Amino acid sequence: MAHDAHHDHHGDAHGYDHGHAHWDTSIWPFVISFGILFLAVAFSYQFVYHNGFAAILCLGLAVPMIIAGIAGWTSEAMGKGEGLSYGAMGWFILAEAMIFVSFFVGYWYTRLHTEVWPPAGTIELPRLMPMVMTAVLVGSSLTIHYAEHLLHLGNKGGFRLWYLVTIVMGAVFLGMSIYEWSHLMHQGFTISTNSFSTVFFSITGLHGSHVVVGLAIFLAGLPSVIRGDIDEGFMRTAGLYWHFVDVIWFFVVSQVYYW
Amino acid sequence: MNLKEWIFTTDHKRVGVLYLIGSIAAFGIAGIMALLMRAELSTLGPTITSNPATYNVWLYTHGAVMILGFQIPALTGFFANYCIPLMIGAKDVAFPRVNALSVWLFYVGVILACLTFFLPDPPDVMWTGYPPYSIMTTGNTAMYSFTVLILGFASIIGGVNFLTTVAYMRAPGLTLNKLNIFVWCTLAAFVLQLIFVPVLGTAVTLISMDKYLGTHFFDPAAGGDVLTYQNLFWFYSHPAVYVIFLPFIGVVYEIITAHSKNMVFNYKMVVYGGVGGIVALSGVVWVHHLYVSGMADWLRIGQMITTLMISIPVGLMMIGLIGTLYKGSIAFTTPMLYALGVVFLFLIGGLTGVPLALPSLTIGVSDTYYVVGHFHYVMAVAGTFAIFGGVYHWFPKVTGKMYNEFWGKLGFWLTFIGVNITFWIMMDVGVKGMPRRYYDYAHFPQFESAHQWMTVGAAILGVGFALAVLNWIMGAINGKKALDNPWGSPSLEWSTVSPPPHGNWPTPPSVSEDWHPYGFKKD
Repeated sequence: MAHDAHHDHHGDAHGYDHGHAHWDTSIWPFVISFGILFLAVAFSYQFVYHNGFAAILCLGLAVPMIIAGIAGWTSEAMGKGEGLSYGAMGWFILAEAMIFVSFFVGYWYTRLHTEVWPPAGTIELPRLMPMVMTAVLVGSSLTIHYAEHLLHLGNKGGFRLWYLVTIVMGAVFLGMSIYEWSHLMHQGFTISTNSFSTVFFSITGLHGSHVVVGLAIFLAGLPSVIRGDIDEGFMRTAGLYWHFVDVIWFFVVSQVYYW
Repeated sequence: MNLKEWIFTTDHKRVGVLYLIGSIAAFGIAGIMALLMRAELSTLGPTITSNPATYNVWLYTHGAVMILGFQIPALTGFFANYCIPLMIGAKDVAFPRVNALSVWLFYVGVILACLTFFLPDPPDVMWTGYPPYSIMTTGNTAMYSFTVLILGFASIIGGVNFLTTVAYMRAPGLTLNKLNIFVWCTLAAFVLQLIFVPVLGTAVTLISMDKYLGTHFFDPAAGGDVLTYQNLFWFYSHPAVYVIFLPFIGVVYEIITAHSKNMVFNYKMVVYGGVGGIVALSGVVWVHHLYVSGMADWLRIGQMITTLMISIPVGLMMIGLIGTLYKGSIAFTTPMLYALGVVFLFLIGGLTGVPLALPSLTIGVSDTYYVVGHFHYVMAVAGTFAIFGGVYHWFPKVTGKMYNEFWGKLGFWLTFIGVNITFWIMMDVGVKGMPRRYYDYAHFPQFESAHQWMTVGAAILGVGFALAVLNWIMGAINGKKALDNPWGSPSLEWSTVSPPPHGNWPTPPSVSEDWHPYGFKKD
C-alpha cells in the first residue's frame, strides 16, 4: 500500500536529495474515483435499467471504496500541512455558493414566470419550526466562533466544551430538519407534488447535505480536539465552512419558508 | 519504469502526463465519431448506417467528449499541471493528492462517456441535454448527468488547487507582473470554472432528478419551466468557451514569444485588459445562445451589446500576439506553425462570430451549418491547434527528447488544409440554409457535393492529426536527446533539466529584479 509517505519530510528534504528518484504516491484518490464510478453505474442500474440486484452490487463496491478512500486519505494527510487550508476553502466556498445561486435563480425564474403561485397541492408550511431552527444554527455559528477564540487564547478545556456544543447543535438542527420533512410528507407534501415542493425539498435538502459535510469536518477533527493537539488553521477553516452553511440558511429560510 | 509510481502518483508532472494521455485518447475517440458522421453525410440517404439513433450517439459522443474529455482536460489538466508549478518555481501544487483525485475523476468521467457504446439505450441528448427531450427520451440521461457532474467536480477541485498554489507558492521575487501569460490565463479560466461549473452541475442534476426521481423543475404541467434549464446551461456553457479560450491563447502566447524571441507586446494591457475584461464580461453574454428560445427583448438587446463588447478584450489579446511578432526573430518551427495557425483560424472564427451576436441575423442562421463552421473555427479547431502546438513546444521538456520536425510540419499543413476545406464550406452551406444535426438531407440534395468536399477535408485533417500523435509517440520512444532549453527561453520551466525530476529543482529557484519570463537575450 502506498501509506509510504506523502511528504513525510515536508521541508527541503525531498526525494531529490536522496540520490535516487523517489516519486510520492497515494492510492486513495484512485480508490475514491473508482468508487464514484460504481456509484454512477449503480444509479443507472436502479433508475434506468430497474435492475435492483446489480445496483446493490455496485453500491456494495462503491460505498466501501469511497469510505475507505476518505478515511485513508484523512489519516494520511492530517497534520502534514495538507489538510484544510483557509485560502483554498474560500475558493471552494465560492463554488459551493454558486450551486445555491443556481438553485435559487432557477426557483425565482420559475416562480416569477408562472401565473398561479403557489401551484396546486401546496400546503401551509409551518412558521414556528424554521424560526427555532434558525436560532439553533445561528447559535452554533456563535459557539464555534467562541470556541476558536478560546483556542486562540490557549484555553483548551473551554475550547473542547464549545466545540462539542457546536457539534450537538448542528446535530439538533439536522434532527429538526428530518422531523420537519417527515411531518410534511405525512401530510402528502412530497418532492414530486408540484414544482414548489420540488424546490422546497431540493433546496432544504441541499442545505442539509452541507450541514452534514460541516459536521463531518468537525467529527474528522474530533480525535485531535480530544487529544488537545488540534491545528488552529484547521479550526479556522472548518469554522469558515460552518459560517458559510449558516449564512446560506438565511436565504433558504427567507426564500422558501417565508416568501 | 515503475507502473505503481505512475498510477498512484501525486506529482504534478506525472498527473499532467496522465491527463495528456487520457485527453489525447478522448480526442481520438471523439475524432473517429466526427469522421463517422462525415462518412454518413457523404451521400444522400443512408450511407454507413440506416439508423438515425446511431448518428445521434455519434453526435453526442463527439460533442461531449471533445469538449469535456479533450479540450478542457488537455488545457486545464495537462498544460496547467505540467507548466504552472514549473513556471512559478514551485516544487509541486498545494494539494498533490487533490490533484491525483482530479485526474482519476477525469478518467472516470471519460469511461462513463465511453460506456455510451456498450449501454442499452445510450444517451442521445447531444452535449446540451435540453429538456423536455432529455426527460422524455428512452436514452440513459443519467449517464450524461453523471459524466458532467464528475468531470465538473474534477475541474472545481483542480481550480481550488491551482488558485491556492499560485497564491502561496510562487518563487521569491516572482511578483504578479512577472507571471507568464499562460499562468494568468489559466488562473482566470479556473476562476470561471469555480463560478460557473456549479451552475452546470446543478442544471444537469435537475434533469436527472426530473426524469428519475419524480421532481418537477422543468415540467410546466406542475408549475415548472423548461427555459430555466437553457438559461442555467448556457450561463455555464458560454463561459466554458473562455475556460477553453483563455488557456489556449495562453499557450499560444508562450509559443509565439519563445519562437520569435520577443517580449510580450503590451503585457499589462493583455493581462488586465484582455484577461481581466474577458473574466468581467463572460458571465453576462449567455443569452446570445438563446436568441430564438423566446427571450424578452431587453435581455436580447442587452446581451447583444455585452457580446459585442467582449470582442474588445479578445481583440486586445490578438493585438498582443501580433505585436509580439513585430521585430521578433521568428523561427518557423512546428509549434510556431500551429500557433500562427491559431491566429489565422481565430481571426476567421472571430470575425464570423461578430454577426452571430446580432439577434436579427442569428434568427436567420440559427441551427444551421454556419454556426457549426464558426464554432469549429473559433474554438474547436483553434483550441486543438493550440493544444497540439503546445504539446510540441513542451515536448522536449516533458520527454527529454526531440520530435521530428519534418513529420511535425507535414502534419500541421495537412490539418490546416483539411480544416479550411471542411469548415469554410460548412459556413457557406449554412448561410445557404443547410440545417445542422441532421442525419440525412433529403430535402437539400443541392448540398451533396459540398458535403462530399467536407468529408474529403475531414479525412485530410484526420490524417494530419494522426501524424502529429504518431510523431509524439515515435519521438518519446526514440527521439534525439533534447537540450534542457532548446528554445532559449528565460521562462522558469526551462531552467531545470529535461525531464524535470521529482521536486523540479535541486534547490528552489528565486528570481532577480530584472528577470522576466519574456526577457529574451537579443542575438
